[in-house]
Amino acid sequence: MSLPTFKLLLPRTLQDAVSHLARYGGNIQVLAGGTDLIPSMKQKLFTPAYVMDIRGIDELRGIHVVPGTGVEIGALTPLSTIEDSEFMRRNYRVLYEAAITVASPILRNMGTLGGNICLDTRCVWYNQSLQWRKSCGFCIKKDGDLCHVAPGGTRCWAAFSGDTPPALLCLNADLEIIGPRGVRRVPLSQFYTSLGDAHLKLDPNEMLTRILLPESSAGWKGSYQKLRIRGSIDYPLAGVAVAFRKNGGPVEAARVAITAVNPSPVLVPGAEHALIGKQPDEHVATVVGELAAKAAKPLTTSGLTPEYRREMVKVFAKRAVLAAARS
Amino acid sequence: MTDFSIIGKSVALIDSAGKTTGQGKYADDLSLPGMLIGKILHSPYPHALIKKIDSSRAEALEGVIAVVTGPDAPNKYGILPVGHDETALAVEKVRYVGDNVACVVAISESIAEQALDLIQVDYELLPAWFDPEDSMKAEKDWIHPQRPNNIEKDYHHVFGDPEKGFAESDLVLENRYLAGEVTHAAMEPHSTLAAFEPDPQTGKPGRLTVWSSTQVPYYLQHKLSIVLEMPMSQIRVIKPLVGGGFGGKSEVIPLEIIAAVAARKAKAPVKITYTREEVFWAHRGRPRTIIDLKTGVKKDGRITSVAARVVQDGGAYCSYGVVTILYSGALLGALYDIPNIRYDGYRVLTNKPACGAMRGHGTVNVRFAFESQLDEIANRLGIDSAVIRRRNLLKPPCITVNNLRVQSYGLPECIEKVIERSGWMKRKGRMLPGRGLGLACSHYVSGAANSIIRSDMPHSTVNIKIDRDGGVVVYTGASDIGQGSDTMVAQIVAEVLGISLGRIKIIAADTDLTPIDIGSYSSRVTFMNGNASLRAAENVKTKILAAAAQKMNCSPEDIVMRHDMLWKRGTPEPHGKGAEAVQILEKVDTPRGNVQEVSGRVEGQILRGSLQQKRKEEGPKDRMSFEEAVVSAIDFSGALTGTGSYAPPKDARGGAFKGAGVGPSPAYSYSAQVAEVSVDEDTGEVTVHKVWAAHDCGRALNPVSVEGQVIGSVWMGMGQALQEEMVWKDGLLMNPGLLEYKSPSSAESPEVETIIVESVDPEGPFGAKEASEGSLAATIPAIANAIHDAVGVRLREAPFTPERVLAAIRARKQAAKALEITRGADPSAPKVFREHGGSLWYKGKGPERHPDDPARKNGDKALAGD
Repeated sequence: MSLPTFKLLLPRTLQDAVSHLARYGGNIQVLAGGTDLIPSMKQKLFTPAYVMDIRGIDELRGIHVVPGTGVEIGALTPLSTIEDSEFMRRNYRVLYEAAITVASPILRNMGTLGGNICLDTRCVWYNQSLQWRKSCGFCIKKDGDLCHVAPGGTRCWAAFSGDTPPALLCLNADLEIIGPRGVRRVPLSQFYTSLGDAHLKLDPNEMLTRILLPESSAGWKGSYQKLRIRGSIDYPLAGVAVAFRKNGGPVEAARVAITAVNPSPVLVPGAEHALIGKQPDEHVATVVGELAAKAAKPLTTSGLTPEYRREMVKVFAKRAVLAAARS
Repeated sequence: MTDFSIIGKSVALIDSAGKTTGQGKYADDLSLPGMLIGKILHSPYPHALIKKIDSSRAEALEGVIAVVTGPDAPNKYGILPVGHDETALAVEKVRYVGDNVACVVAISESIAEQALDLIQVDYELLPAWFDPEDSMKAEKDWIHPQRPNNIEKDYHHVFGDPEKGFAESDLVLENRYLAGEVTHAAMEPHSTLAAFEPDPQTGKPGRLTVWSSTQVPYYLQHKLSIVLEMPMSQIRVIKPLVGGGFGGKSEVIPLEIIAAVAARKAKAPVKITYTREEVFWAHRGRPRTIIDLKTGVKKDGRITSVAARVVQDGGAYCSYGVVTILYSGALLGALYDIPNIRYDGYRVLTNKPACGAMRGHGTVNVRFAFESQLDEIANRLGIDSAVIRRRNLLKPPCITVNNLRVQSYGLPECIEKVIERSGWMKRKGRMLPGRGLGLACSHYVSGAANSIIRSDMPHSTVNIKIDRDGGVVVYTGASDIGQGSDTMVAQIVAEVLGISLGRIKIIAADTDLTPIDIGSYSSRVTFMNGNASLRAAENVKTKILAAAAQKMNCSPEDIVMRHDMLWKRGTPEPHGKGAEAVQILEKVDTPRGNVQEVSGRVEGQILRGSLQQKRKEEGPKDRMSFEEAVVSAIDFSGALTGTGSYAPPKDARGGAFKGAGVGPSPAYSYSAQVAEVSVDEDTGEVTVHKVWAAHDCGRALNPVSVEGQVIGSVWMGMGQALQEEMVWKDGLLMNPGLLEYKSPSSAESPEVETIIVESVDPEGPFGAKEASEGSLAATIPAIANAIHDAVGVRLREAPFTPERVLAAIRARKQAAKALEITRGADPSAPKVFREHGGSLWYKGKGPERHPDDPARKNGDKALAGD
């Protein structure tokens, strides 16, 4: 399969990137690591007139500790940098655990944190070649008007399949976004739409630049549990992130988020209350598991049955609570 | 005799340097001046008549040279003489999503892809068949009109008296087993380059050369001759390096024919390389199989009777199907002593990509059922799994009830070894909760005793040419597909001639240069081509010895050839330079006791003149170098050549009944395995911690190579056991890529401890038998039996995905809504294949192709495609 024809833009500065976005917005695809975009372009899921390769913009790379504020992570930072950072492992355990489960070591050298956050939603009816998609009559997310997962509906249910966003939700991360009107800051929890086909609240002429982790989330105990068939390579079929603050006594603050079972990563409603003021024991973990399963809406977008994946959200949430307590 | 110099040594494969440095050429690496790229248009419908193909817009696109369609080459072909049901490109009808409709030839891949979109095909849809048991009931709309009820072939074999056997038994078990469809997933996707030379007299396309990723160059030459209506002598097939076959390249794959037809039409060389998705559509893997198995035993575990009904979901074309369904029955025999067998096999056509031969061809799924059921019987009778198998051993040499001749039989030793190494007696039944051990056995042919096209022709012939430089060129038709056959041939020839590997050059698998060999399939190459190589080497050795004997004034029998030297038996072993050179992975102890390092090429070529001079000065002598002997032989007999052939002996070719041709082999390999697993009872995830695999390969010509093959077989079996499965929805393959088709990664691959058992077969070359396939089949039931040992559930549907394992655990615990997670299907008592959820068709909005679509209920079945 060949790549569709496009013009390659290679900005060296953020300003250049912004002006490209302003000029070609809507007809441009940003390439960070390219691990997801390139195969998708070969499948003709994206046929942009312009591809903007932002890897030349050095300021978008790296983990910077800002005392009193927290940590700023450049959107271009490879996942392997997070994996290798002792600081991240010690202070933001849940993100570290999520990052090490992404794809394979080689892909983590290329894949970036920003790319993982903006990752396209996935569905077995969508992530296929043009020829294959013709055979199924296309789908609502691309070139068609039908959802094979929920026939009769008009909504796209493609599953958000990034591993790091649920961890970042638990850490109450903010995103810094740049566009023609300047820089804006948005909580990650408000970045996703919950629609499978237009899943990001990001204008076509905007771009993610930084991920900001508050200092108040540092030192939280955390764990990420991922359902997949292989020990490597695979996207999650379900993923659960748990993080809480606890200093000897009961849980003081907590968040639980799930991924790969909805069109967006979601914070589990009620999980906070289930954990705060309690010891994260077997019983509490079971309650959290049930809340997580209730928030999950797995469909036939992915391998294994939706019923099994929902069940695993329950099991994995429980395990994540207990593992976080031990972390 | 075990005093070998190169046999039994772990030498590096002779083509490994090219592969590891990237210098080796695979088919897709090849390029010719003026070469064009071909891209194939595939059917989007599972079953439809082609009403019209309009390729004018595609042809008008700048850069497009030709568009080829079915009528350009309508002759039918197929790998089996009884199954000529394929055409290069669809004529009149498409039979599966992915069937080949047209081919665009253009100056670049991207232009060819663009042109595919411009071809207008009008289809008339036909009802399609996806489930084999439904398909068998079809009364019309058959996939091939000459195959009523969509049954490609059915066989009904009775050996002994099965009913009497069941009547005499103390316990009878009867279960249905399902095995999902799996594919080879070779690393190299198929690729073919075809080029015609202009005829010097007419200027029209003359001789054809095809470079292709194939396991069977001679069959490809034969089928090209049928489709192109050219004499075989005008067609040359060359096999470059091949990146794995596993059966997926063991027959003629559509692109191989299409590339040649396209090259003829475009009047230029054409290369086609499949995308991974196209590899899945070309497929020819292991079919989904339903096995209804019944086994009767006495109280002591002795098997009295076996009855199997096997239904294979063969896809849209015959491919190797008739052979697959016969192997499934025939290989019930030759592992254990079974006095009575009834076998009913059905190869069924469905509207899906054709299934064919895959590692362990035909035996794997039935072996899964058999070994699982035998384990269950052992449990019921309170007999140890190893003991019940020992009580059913054959007593070779013997002929089984279904006419298979068994001579060497290392199974008892295989069982003994894995029991010992795994600590079975001490550990079985005493493991932590959720952890278990499982045992299973398997076997496989060392080549089919009867070739696909029945004849008395030898199955392999090998030629050897030795020139005055002392270099030995071996011409073998054997296709090295990564399994190491070139190295095997070189080792055998080197051993016979007593020379170093560096002297040997292998010319292989080129139909113009090498004598016929029917291909790399059915694990036949070491046994058959190895024997031909052995005979060719002995043939040429006789000539060298005759010449040397004259010079040394003794009889040929008195001469020893070894270490690149010849000497009179009884005289001191020479310490010559020529003794230098075996390319060996480790340091090798030579019989003289000194240790030699890895050495490269043979030291310099000795000019003939100086040799002659030297010889004149000397009288009769006690020793000569290999070069000197070669020169004497050339002086003596002109060109120094040797030839050797192999045909299986008559008494190994099986019975006379219909279908008796498949199953017989000159020798069988044997395997016993113990798997250690743990099962997570909350998630159903199975972890394989270790597999002990003992394989009887007769003699290990190259132990490291045998170990590699056994580990690969176990690994592939584990993939099929736990995670690999082609997932279908109404004929559409949901996972046509290596991301969603889950071959195991290194992360979940267990340690495999291989144990080589050498039964030294009386007819194998140096006693060798097959090593590449026989170990696969045991892995699946070994894991199934280990899961049962761990958590007490009996999985009868493969693969044992976590959802299935969890469903079985819950069904056992009789929990409420136990089976919701598998949508009501109980994997411990499976009934039918389950398809992927979701819908391909709904109220006409979708692909408009399914006859059950509610929007299409009111008629109008003819629909135009896009």
